[in-house]
Amino acid sequence: MSTAADKVAATGNGTTSLYHNKAAQWLLYLAVFAVLALMPLLVENAFTLNQLARYTCFAILAMSVSLVWGYGGILSLGQGIAFGLAAYGMGMTMQMQYQHPEYDPIPSFMLTNELESLPLMWAPFWSTTTGLILTLSVPTVFFAVFGAMMFQARVAGVFVAIMTLAMLAAWYSMAYDMQPFTAGFNGISPPLPFSIGGFELDPYGAPAYLVCVGFLAVLTCLAKLLMQSRFGVIVQAIRDDAERARFLGYNVASYQIALFAISGFIAACAGLCWVMIVQYVSPTSLELTLSIAMVIWAAVGGRLSLLGAIMGAFLVNGMQSYLGDELQQLWMLFLGAIFIGVVLLLPRGLAGLMELILDRLAGLRGRSQDQASGQKEAAE
Amino acid sequence: MSVHDFWTPFSLIPFINALFIGISLASIWLLAALGLTIIYGTMGVINMAHGEFIMLGAYSTYVFQSILGLPFLLCLPLSFFVVAAIGLLVERSIIRPLYARPLDTLLATWGLSLILIQSVRLIFGGEPQYVAVPEWLNFVVQTSFLNLSGLRIFIIVMAVALCGLTWFLMYRTSYGVKVRAVMQDKEMAQSFGVNSSRIYSLTFAYGAGLAGVAGGLFGAVKTLFPDMGSGYIVEAFLVVVVGGVQLAGSVLSAGLLGELNSVFSYFTNDTFARFVLFTLVVIFLRFRPQGLLSEGATRR
Repeated sequence: MSTAADKVAATGNGTTSLYHNKAAQWLLYLAVFAVLALMPLLVENAFTLNQLARYTCFAILAMSVSLVWGYGGILSLGQGIAFGLAAYGMGMTMQMQYQHPEYDPIPSFMLTNELESLPLMWAPFWSTTTGLILTLSVPTVFFAVFGAMMFQARVAGVFVAIMTLAMLAAWYSMAYDMQPFTAGFNGISPPLPFSIGGFELDPYGAPAYLVCVGFLAVLTCLAKLLMQSRFGVIVQAIRDDAERARFLGYNVASYQIALFAISGFIAACAGLCWVMIVQYVSPTSLELTLSIAMVIWAAVGGRLSLLGAIMGAFLVNGMQSYLGDELQQLWMLFLGAIFIGVVLLLPRGLAGLMELILDRLAGLRGRSQDQASGQKEAAE
Repeated sequence: MSVHDFWTPFSLIPFINALFIGISLASIWLLAALGLTIIYGTMGVINMAHGEFIMLGAYSTYVFQSILGLPFLLCLPLSFFVVAAIGLLVERSIIRPLYARPLDTLLATWGLSLILIQSVRLIFGGEPQYVAVPEWLNFVVQTSFLNLSGLRIFIIVMAVALCGLTWFLMYRTSYGVKVRAVMQDKEMAQSFGVNSSRIYSLTFAYGAGLAGVAGGLFGAVKTLFPDMGSGYIVEAFLVVVVGGVQLAGSVLSAGLLGELNSVFSYFTNDTFARFVLFTLVVIFLRFRPQGLLSEGATRR
């Protein structure tokens, strides 16, 4: 039952396989981020670099799914809410950087929607600092409130999935409907790249890419530290048996709310980076397809490992681009098949496969023991 | 945009018409949710491919009608059997290993829905297709307060009929007794000689078949696209969950949600009504996760 506790205990001593060795884990994380950070030296093509930056945003999203679902056992289909809200916040910030208080005070799409003055909702975005703070804080606060609503009522499992799904659908129709404020279906496309402190971050340049990688690296390291802390251990215990954790005296709801809000914050950072890279935001960022795609990336890479989820995002999206337009028709078939295959055969994704191989190499687990724990996992 | 544009003032005749539109909407949501109620209620399987089963029903009706030239009324039962057969195949291959992992069925059936959408796109192309409305449904009931097409009325009748059929099957046949026994306690039912895996297969196939009929009917209302199923899945799930995952509950919640949606859209507009409705559902589930009708706090 207590697989998480075992794992935590196992990471402490040096007799386990490389997979559970803490030092080796950190080394691998740092190596991956170092490689990502050095990419601008290797990649000459600006288009490819922009593509990589997009994948980095997806990787941040997959990591947030791994945190909330893999570690917390909360399957949220609403990660796109935080992503989308932050994307709109960033879009509004960038749009207002272009506007001029005297000559050109309101965005043109508002004029076509017969708005005579800037709506109150938009006014704080005159200031880039306030805009950025709102971009990150609004989704986080929303996730905390939404999480409090769900987890204090002890909503769990499938119901969380369906409630987050409904909430996502609600926000999607909202973004669609409030045409004078959000430009509706067309979306907001800020004319200029994001600039901060007088420095312009060209979406196709190395600095913008490095900002994305920086977000990914810092957030992942913080999340990993958090999951190794007392908080992380309790969160995993709640995932394995919420009732038992409750009987041990832990306030289960407050841990779940905190984890949910943190994952919302991470997804919001991804939304911020995304709009900086694509210079465009529309209701598609709140589509169900995207929110489920994040879950796919995390599942393929391995939801129980942050790095696994990150690699899953790079792998799935990289393959999608690599296969090109000719195979785009078959890509969806392929993706669906991969996904069914992973769920059926590799419930712990590629990272789980890695763990199995390294454990075997270390001669720690016999075949029979493997199967036993595999079944235990399946029964969860 | 002033407040007045956004908020339609109340007037009686159009409002009553909105209530009738609500019944029509409710019947569509109920048809979409019926098969899902059976599948989720019996097996606890979150079938994200349910919308695609509806889509397959629409396309098979299209094939039977346009290519084989069969009458519409015959196409519907044929679509039932086609989609039920596909459902049987899916249950045997994908769903069966996952019964102990309900969250994973959600993910696997999402993968399945991608495959189904793309397969249909490869076979029929991405351009829209149409199911022709038969001659005898080409009438409109029009009075001072009511404006409903024959097709809409037919859909309401079909929703009632299929609910009745499902109720009969579940509560008046020996198959239904077995289904309910497996639902309550699988091990106990098995030890009394009920072949639970057979019951699961049949029930999944029946639920898929219902989606097939629903698809045939929806195809007559709207154009057919390979990804038309995604337009039904969210509403269908909400109907099922708000109803408390049982037949009577789904009927009640479909009626309630349909009417609420139609009243909200009468006062504001369609998308805003959807936003209000979804938010209300989330708040409702916070206080009654067990749904409208179920007693106690058993949660699946």
